[in-house]
Amino acid sequence: MTPPATPDSQAGARRPHARCGRCLAPAVINIRRHNTAFCQACFLHTVRQQVERTIHRHRMLEPGQRVLVAVSGGKDSLALWELLLRLGYQADGLYLALGIGGYSQRSQAASQAFADAHGARLVVHDLADEHGFTIAQAAARTRVGGGRRAQKAAGRSPCGTCGLSKRYVFNDAARQHGYEVVATGHNLDDEAAVLFGNMLRWDTAAMARQYPVLEATHPGLVKKIKPLYRIAERETAAYCVLAGIDYVVEECPLVAGNTQMRYKDMLNELEERSPSAKHDLLFGFVERGAPALRAARADRAELVECGSCGAVTQRPEDDTMTPVCAFCRARARLLQLPLLTT
Amino acid sequence: MRVTARIRPPGRTVELDDVTTVAALLRALDLRPQTVLVLRDGMLVIESEPLRDGDEVEVRHAISGGAR
Repeated sequence: MTPPATPDSQAGARRPHARCGRCLAPAVINIRRHNTAFCQACFLHTVRQQVERTIHRHRMLEPGQRVLVAVSGGKDSLALWELLLRLGYQADGLYLALGIGGYSQRSQAASQAFADAHGARLVVHDLADEHGFTIAQAAARTRVGGGRRAQKAAGRSPCGTCGLSKRYVFNDAARQHGYEVVATGHNLDDEAAVLFGNMLRWDTAAMARQYPVLEATHPGLVKKIKPLYRIAERETAAYCVLAGIDYVVEECPLVAGNTQMRYKDMLNELEERSPSAKHDLLFGFVERGAPALRAARADRAELVECGSCGAVTQRPEDDTMTPVCAFCRARARLLQLPLLTT
Repeated sequence: MRVTARIRPPGRTVELDDVTTVAALLRALDLRPQTVLVLRDGMLVIESEPLRDGDEVEVRHAISGGAR
């Protein structure tokens, strides 16, 4: 249905839809990549259906299976938790306290409030208590003195240390609490930005590992799933608003300068001119690129146990070296500790 | 006519004159419509929605890092 003309309509520009593409009720959101709009009820129905189909298509979960959802208090993870509960899975939350001041406190409070409102269980782990450092400390170490020299000494950006710590703790906590699957709220924009970054470097090993479901290929690993990879970031935010999910709107204070954010910005500029560019890039990769890379064994890493903590890591290229996982190396560098190996 | 927009994050408020639709509001703020959500009275509104004098809306960044 053609929307009413307004004085602000731009000549030649495609007009946004004013009516729901499913039921013709007044629309509350336009989705340009699908060239349609939705009312509240049809949008919620469509997102739920897409996520359910994604879970089935990739055999992410068995009906009613227990799953640990990594939650941050933000829109993506809380939307995912609500969706998994609604679809009937035994979904418990895992919150990792990162020590980013008031931001972390508000994020934990939002996660706990969601758990309480839905009668769900939230497991809390604390990076400082369990591993002796916070992400705020990692950021300070990178920035003290500033510049590339400080970054090199610290080894990773604060976002890099944060991502590494989350991956480590999510796997470890899932095993500790007896979950076989960890679900994360990575959305279409997140995955497209990671893919774009990997493509800029042609990091084929990383690309071969980028998939919506990663099976547990070693007894020390749990299965990882990304049920929201077909839902755009703006759509997860809209889902929260329309489903009444109260998420933390504020940004992480450490995100400024993050490389992935720059890639997202570039992809959104492209999307503005070519709606569905992100969607085509990512879905084409998942359907054709990733299977081809896996068939070509682009990721040949052999998995062994870390000589320091016992976690699963890649075997070093030099066979005479003791394998030490990236998390233990980053932690030792950050705390200026010697690496203790067995 | 005047419209008040609260932009979150970071939570700053701006007043705009003579923006008669949500699309015009976003153009005036130099924001891409597909990276934000616009709420009035707690409900999402689409780009073609007319705005009235005295309207108060929230413009919410929907992409992480989009507010910087």
